[in-house]
Amino acid sequence: MNRINQDLIEQMASELQPVRPLKTSEGLLLVALATLVTVLLIELFDGLRAGILQGQSSAFFMIANGLLLVLGIASATSVVTMASPRVGNRHDAPKWTMAMAAVLPIAALITLAAQQSGADMLGDPYGITCLLAALSASSITGFALLFWLKRGAPVSLNAAGLHLGVAAGALGSAAYGLACPIDGIVHLGIFHVAPVIVAGLIGRLIVPRLLRW
Amino acid sequence: MIADEGTMAHLMALSQKGDKNAYTVLLSEASNWLQRYFRRKVPDAQLDDMVQEVLLAIHKKRASYDATRPFQPWMAAIARYRWVDHLRKVYRAQEDALEDNDAFEDSDEEAVLARISLDRLFVHLSEKQAEVIELVKIEGHSIRDAARACGQTESAVKVNIHRGLKKLSALIEKAE
Repeated sequence: MNRINQDLIEQMASELQPVRPLKTSEGLLLVALATLVTVLLIELFDGLRAGILQGQSSAFFMIANGLLLVLGIASATSVVTMASPRVGNRHDAPKWTMAMAAVLPIAALITLAAQQSGADMLGDPYGITCLLAALSASSITGFALLFWLKRGAPVSLNAAGLHLGVAAGALGSAAYGLACPIDGIVHLGIFHVAPVIVAGLIGRLIVPRLLRW
Repeated sequence: MIADEGTMAHLMALSQKGDKNAYTVLLSEASNWLQRYFRRKVPDAQLDDMVQEVLLAIHKKRASYDATRPFQPWMAAIARYRWVDHLRKVYRAQEDALEDNDAFEDSDEEAVLARISLDRLFVHLSEKQAEVIELVKIEGHSIRDAARACGQTESAVKVNIHRGLKKLSALIEKAE
């Protein structure tokens, strides 16, 4: 080893301070807490819809929010593990869950086409409200994941940005979905999936710049 | 001889707790490991700088190592990240130089060694991307010369370099 490397090593060793290693379980707990806080804030400001556990909502409501939740968990788990890089890491789960969740807008568009009532969608009084509210609801989880990644050493920056956006959007949309009074497939498949797409795009375009190290 | 995976993982776990002796040994071993890792990927003149850059990254990001997982794949991911970043910097410098109409000198022997080992990572790139990255970034030819040598337009060479580097940066965690 040359003298410069030796000097550098001695200097780094002399400055060494204990560090708290990142643990995947703690990252997932952070995401769970962020989502819980989001739900509590939604309950505080908007009120969760009644009768969910009593089965008073439609099957579409359960399926759509369930798919969004699974998508959010898969993407958030991918982001959390990206903070601790490793050659050999795979981040395929979000891709498959994104494909799974894509069933929702496809079903919505097929339903719209069959009913020949595209104008109904444009006239949906809750559509844009749900889109914006779900995007707002995704911000807490998004910042929590960003904080986690900044503590770590992500090396797949574009994938990290996309997965962070999708995770935040899906968990935010699923959380706000608990307050949404409409449970038709067209509304859920379009206005509750759109926040995931928007958040994913924002994450992919902005987050990599914030993560570079 | 370089320490094995288990020893390095153990030393890193101790280092995270603040053990300075363990850390000194670990960084020395890591330095040797990185010298070997980069030897055929980076020209000799840049090898020490590259190793030092990765050692600093290891120091800065040591909390991101999970002691329940292997150490060397973690260090390799950081080494690859810094290496791709290094390639990008070289490319930007070359583009700046090109704008000043400065031609590049021919590659030296070290660059040839770099090209040999880079071929292994290039299997994920298209033939055109790999060809122009080799010519411009590893051998140091100008965009104009590379375009002439491989029968592409200068714009196509730039696009292929840009896309090739983008692809390489997405392959950092991919196991070969």
